[in-house]
Amino acid sequence: MDMVRTFFSRIAAMFRGRNLDASLDEEVRAHIDMATEEHILRGVPKDEARRLALREFGGVTQVRETYRVQRGLPLLEQVRRDVRFGVLQLWKSPGFTLTAILTLALGVGANTTIFSMINGLLLRPLPVPESGRLVVLGINFGGPKPGFSFPEPLFRGLERRQSAFNTVFAFDRSPFQVKSGASTEVIFGQYVSGTFFDALQTPPLLGRTLTVGDDRKGGDPSGFATVIGETLWTNRFHRDPAIIGQKMTVDNVVFTIAGVMPRSFFGADPLQRPQIFLPLAVEEVLNGERSMTRAGVHGWWLNVMGRLAPGANLEQANSEVSAATNAILGAAPDARWVARQKERHFHFLAQSGSTGFTYIRLNFRKPLIALFVMCGGILLLACLNLASLLLARGTARQRELATRMALGASRRRLIQQLLVEGLLLGAAGTAAGLALSPVVSRLLAAVLLGGRPGTYLDTSIDVRVFAFAAAAAVLATLLFALAPAIKATSRRLVDRMKDGQHATLTHERSAILPRVLLGAEVGLALMLVVGAGLVSTSLLRLYNSGEGFDPRGVENISFSMDKAGLKGDALIAFYREMAARLSHQPAVTGVSYAHQVPLTGNEWDEDFTDESGVSHDIYMNSVAPAYFSSMRIPLLAGRDFTWNDTPATSPKIILNQSAVRQLFPNGNALGRSLRQKEGDKFAVFEVVGVVGDTKYSDLRSAAPAAAYVAMPQDDGSHSPSFTAFVRTSLPSGPLAGAVRAITAQMAPQIPAPEVTSMLTIIDDSLGAERMMTMLAVFFAICALVVTAIGLYGTLAYATARRTAEIGIRMALGAQRSQVAAMIFGHNLWVVMGGTLIGLAAALLATRALAGFLFLTSARDPWVIAASIAALAFTSCAASLLPALRAARIEPMTAIRCE
Amino acid sequence: MGENKPDILQGTLDLMVLKTLESMGPLHGYGIARRIEQVSGQTLIINQGTIYPALLRLEQRGWIKAEWGTSEANRRARFYSLTRIGRSRIAEETRNWERISATMALFLAAPK
Repeated sequence: MDMVRTFFSRIAAMFRGRNLDASLDEEVRAHIDMATEEHILRGVPKDEARRLALREFGGVTQVRETYRVQRGLPLLEQVRRDVRFGVLQLWKSPGFTLTAILTLALGVGANTTIFSMINGLLLRPLPVPESGRLVVLGINFGGPKPGFSFPEPLFRGLERRQSAFNTVFAFDRSPFQVKSGASTEVIFGQYVSGTFFDALQTPPLLGRTLTVGDDRKGGDPSGFATVIGETLWTNRFHRDPAIIGQKMTVDNVVFTIAGVMPRSFFGADPLQRPQIFLPLAVEEVLNGERSMTRAGVHGWWLNVMGRLAPGANLEQANSEVSAATNAILGAAPDARWVARQKERHFHFLAQSGSTGFTYIRLNFRKPLIALFVMCGGILLLACLNLASLLLARGTARQRELATRMALGASRRRLIQQLLVEGLLLGAAGTAAGLALSPVVSRLLAAVLLGGRPGTYLDTSIDVRVFAFAAAAAVLATLLFALAPAIKATSRRLVDRMKDGQHATLTHERSAILPRVLLGAEVGLALMLVVGAGLVSTSLLRLYNSGEGFDPRGVENISFSMDKAGLKGDALIAFYREMAARLSHQPAVTGVSYAHQVPLTGNEWDEDFTDESGVSHDIYMNSVAPAYFSSMRIPLLAGRDFTWNDTPATSPKIILNQSAVRQLFPNGNALGRSLRQKEGDKFAVFEVVGVVGDTKYSDLRSAAPAAAYVAMPQDDGSHSPSFTAFVRTSLPSGPLAGAVRAITAQMAPQIPAPEVTSMLTIIDDSLGAERMMTMLAVFFAICALVVTAIGLYGTLAYATARRTAEIGIRMALGAQRSQVAAMIFGHNLWVVMGGTLIGLAAALLATRALAGFLFLTSARDPWVIAASIAALAFTSCAASLLPALRAARIEPMTAIRCE
Repeated sequence: MGENKPDILQGTLDLMVLKTLESMGPLHGYGIARRIEQVSGQTLIINQGTIYPALLRLEQRGWIKAEWGTSEANRRARFYSLTRIGRSRIAEETRNWERISATMALFLAAPK
């Protein structure tokens, strides 16, 4: 208790230091006066009395100092003084301070940014109770990578048999068309199985959640129920508390709103913010013929997760689902399919699911981690740079430090003071980095998620990000401030205080630490530049690899016709009319339609049997007439489709060159036929044309064998939604307006079509590469700038300290060019050494990049040569300035200075 | 400085101050120092200044409190007085000190 009281009293005293000093002084003065008076009363002469009083009191200064130490918290007091002194020191050299803070802001900011993305995508647990008990289920197909989508029958099988699990649940995201008045709005939601909410254990804001009772064919006796999100409740229903029981029309089916989920709840996919939850069983009702549920074991769409039963662990769950595989497979309806899966050693697996599940994670885990490593490099570079600058500053401050040591400051005190200065820089840099980080990470998240509507990456700063940033800052500070502090206070400073500037030169020349630091900096910068060179070369080659069509000037307009109720001839008539109207728009030179938009990652493949009876897997598309001319795909032989290729005529097909090579190795394909098995019968297609190869689902893979069927002959068995491809020489703005107007006139019941340019689609398909390249190039430029600053700063300091020496040299006859060469040469060796080491390290490290590179060797000689050239140029520019300045020194002024 | 004044244990001075305040009531620093000198019959010669850190220590612990007032000679001075806590601690501190001095006496009396 006494200690606590003492502590608080001391803390209080810290803030009243000056007052208390005055108070003590007055008290002591009174004491001595009283003593003097008493002596005088006893008859001692006045002067003698005062002297006697002072002697009896003892050393006034000592008492005052003891009193002060006793009064405050000495360490805190010291730190406070150091902080004040440090701020003053930094304030006096704003150039250095700003450079240091910016460098560090870059290092810490970059790391925090990438970490916050990694955190959002990979690390943050789902905000539901006991998320650690959640498990993601997957399927091992005998290949290296497991799959994570399930057909509905297999999920139902898993849902029924469970002992290691409390519940097994499934979900899948989907855009829903919600009717509001006459227009229709697309809102992203999820189909969820009956146990979904039960497993995630989050209470609703209003009403109830969906239960097993809702996940049944036909739903409740009262019809289908839905649960909506707080955002939708706010935006559409103005937080109406009487919302429960109201009706809402989703995809032309009427639902009863049963509950509202709070905004903080987003299900089990951390990248989605579903606003409508529908029971899984409803999917069949909403999608009819195209229902994934109806596709049975051939429709792969559900994400499946589970919550472990009390006492069960992940291993038990894993072996249990693995063991259950055959029983569940056996219950599936398609016996041939089941037999094939069993051959492939198909089995279920369970893995930890505390962070939920999202597909995007599978694609971006590696690029993000590679970027994180690069960020680490940038932070290290920033530290090295600051260390060498502080070292140079320490040398320049030697006299100040020596003076303070001579006046009795201990080495420990000086190091502490220098560390506090470093900490100040660290704190300021981190604060600046943290302030910038959210802006940048939001930007990067947009690049990363480009082309994925309805996804959202939460990169906000939480405890984990903050702890990371703090750790990075403290570590960085220690890294860059400790060595210079120890170095600057080492050696017998006091001895050197007597020396002039030039007397320390012998020490300085032999100083190895600054050179090692700078060399390491140069090496690290080279690594980052080489890395950036490789990824950007790879991206450029990807862009220039040739799509097989001309994407420039093509706008894609996607029509959502699924719920429009048009079929067959009426549907084709709608599209023909739309095409005719679009082609009358200004600057439009071609209009066509296709089912598959190239380079979006979507695939559609079919098995065809060639004339010798061998089966081939061919990628498919269904296209309207003029598709090849609109896309500028060369028609090499035969003819294009026409609107007259109707279901009434025999089925036609157009092949690309690769398909011709594969299906008709002996040459001419025109007029020959292909067969496709449909149930027990064969459909026969006649080859009417041959076109050039095009990339199919993504730019990275070579153009596959592909076949095109005629849109008018395609009965819409896949989907009645086609995408228009419009070639135009104008920007998309006016076209989008026109499309909306035409659609509103022709088919007011469908949602406004979305217009995207083909180039945007290509950009979005390269999201990971583009994000990596953008950042890598940015880091490389920063690395070059930071290295240049380091080289320039240290050399400028060193040169400034040699002014007198240079003056003497020149007075003794040294040429200006010789002086410049001497100063320049100082950095030359550092740069050359650093480059060699950096090159060796880069050759080793870039191997890790090989997986991200397209048509680019990890040791591409041109990239490496260009990187070295860039680094050499920057280093020379940075070193030339101090050298030239040295050459301009006037001998007389320089010597007089001393 | 150069004079050879005995080091005295911290706790000793603290207890002397407490006892002084207990018997004399509120007193300023000089008064306390003089009183200690008188009571100890000049055998204990301390620097009067050392009393101030001791007073601060006791004040920080909350055993005594200080107030500015005027002395008999109409001089502004800081008067120290015991707090409730301080008063209650005197007995305990006395017992402590007696134990220590008894132990010391035993040591000194021990046969060589």
